[in-house]
Amino acid sequence: MTTEQELSTPEVARRVGVTPATLRRWIASQVIPMQAGSAWTQGMVAHARIVARLRERGHSLAEIRQATEDGRLAFGYAEDLLRIDDAEYTLKQAAKDTGLEPALIERIGSSLGFSTSWTEQLTEDDVQMLRYGAAALAAGLPLVAFLQLCRVYGQALAQIADAEVRLFHLYVHEPMMREGMPGLQIAEQMEGLTRQLLPLASPMMDHLHQRFLHHFVEQDVIGHMEADLGDTQLDLGRLRVAIAFADLAGYTRLTEEQGEEEAVSAVERFVEAVEHTLPEDARVIKTIGDEVMIVGSDPAALVDWAVGFQQLMVKRPLPRIGVHYGETLYREGDYYGREVNLAARVAARSAGGEVIVTRPLVEVAGPHLEFERIGEVRLKGFAHSTELFLARPGDDD
Amino acid sequence: MATTASFQSAAEFRTVLDRVFTMMSEDPEIGPRLHAADVPQRFAFPDLDLVVNIRATYDEEYGNLIWVWSDDVDWEPRVRMEMASDTANRYFQGKESIALAVARRRIKTSGDVMAALTLIPIIKPVHAAFARVVEAEYPHLRI
Repeated sequence: MTTEQELSTPEVARRVGVTPATLRRWIASQVIPMQAGSAWTQGMVAHARIVARLRERGHSLAEIRQATEDGRLAFGYAEDLLRIDDAEYTLKQAAKDTGLEPALIERIGSSLGFSTSWTEQLTEDDVQMLRYGAAALAAGLPLVAFLQLCRVYGQALAQIADAEVRLFHLYVHEPMMREGMPGLQIAEQMEGLTRQLLPLASPMMDHLHQRFLHHFVEQDVIGHMEADLGDTQLDLGRLRVAIAFADLAGYTRLTEEQGEEEAVSAVERFVEAVEHTLPEDARVIKTIGDEVMIVGSDPAALVDWAVGFQQLMVKRPLPRIGVHYGETLYREGDYYGREVNLAARVAARSAGGEVIVTRPLVEVAGPHLEFERIGEVRLKGFAHSTELFLARPGDDD
Repeated sequence: MATTASFQSAAEFRTVLDRVFTMMSEDPEIGPRLHAADVPQRFAFPDLDLVVNIRATYDEEYGNLIWVWSDDVDWEPRVRMEMASDTANRYFQGKESIALAVARRRIKTSGDVMAALTLIPIIKPVHAAFARVVEAEYPHLRI
């Protein structure tokens, strides 16, 4: 909540964690660019906090003053727009208010990715969030699922916030500094832009969340309909899925020969092409450098995709793809277990332009594909050998 | 399994595809982006014995795209695609993954297909618009 009341220097000093005398010295030396005796704005308080943090990290006043003049600290002014309320609850009070055990609140905080000190400074908004959590648990969501969701929310939203700040820095803040714009002008422009953009992010994310929920609920329903009812029942938390790993052959050499920018562009084109061509039931779970992990519920469709995708990729660097089908452990939005490791190893055996698959996929694939048996192969890290096949389009006739 | 919805005639197919290409060319967002991408394509529909070549317009020409229902053109396509008319119906309604269709031999491609893949996100809104046209005016093509 933003307060309009005028802040005194001792109050600001308390918030920043320094003495009033230190604050006055920073103003006098223009480390904080405001006139002595003028009113504290929220932006200046945010700037003072940043100065305090930089001092703690050993930066000299001269360095900080120069950074302020150059506009390098300008984004700190936007911090005011994201201000977090003062702590109002102890852990015990929050537990009493929400009906959650203190230990569970700590587990929730840890799952969300907050530091251990989070429970020492719980705000009204934190407690409201905990009330939602308590309501979800009371409605019947199992604790194991709830804590996994907390971890997924925490990781995904931390990545979003990190990307927002980094992209803003790279494409807004840096160009202003390169133009030689004065520090205060940069700060004003950054604050103005942040003020305009910030209210747009949450509605966009809400909408996307709804759209994706709709998509995945639909996929889940279809998955239930198409599941092989004769299959052995899987343990709770396990899913039988098709897993593909794909990367670009010769990526390291490409980086060396053509530079990082061109190599990154090649990866972006590759990942976009993957995303735009996947079957309805499949999605990219993660990307690590030039490697993409894909999971789908329909194994035949994923093999078709892999073979078709290779035919579309006619320019170097060519992808290498491995596909496997098996039982995985689903945790926190990701897939784990032996079969996932196996799929990664299968992909590592393929060369540029190739699709290598395991036996379960050969058995479900359509007649339009051909499979050349490679043989029983001992994959790295596995005690037993795995039967591998090279998949390719069948003859036209 | 792909759902089949068939055109009543080659003339209807041409009329419908003309409508799709017009949407692509005249949409204020999509048209300029397709023009800038500048990927001449040739589509062949052997079951109807039809061929269409489409490219970005040159400076003096109207709109963003121009297309000719023949191979008698003075430009070379960068991408070639061949598919049956019912596959084309699914493709332009956004119901056909190009990679799956290639593997299942419903679409044959040649040339710089990667260039065609870059057009997919651009033309996505056209799929939805075309599906609405089908719903309203060509219900027999609904998928």
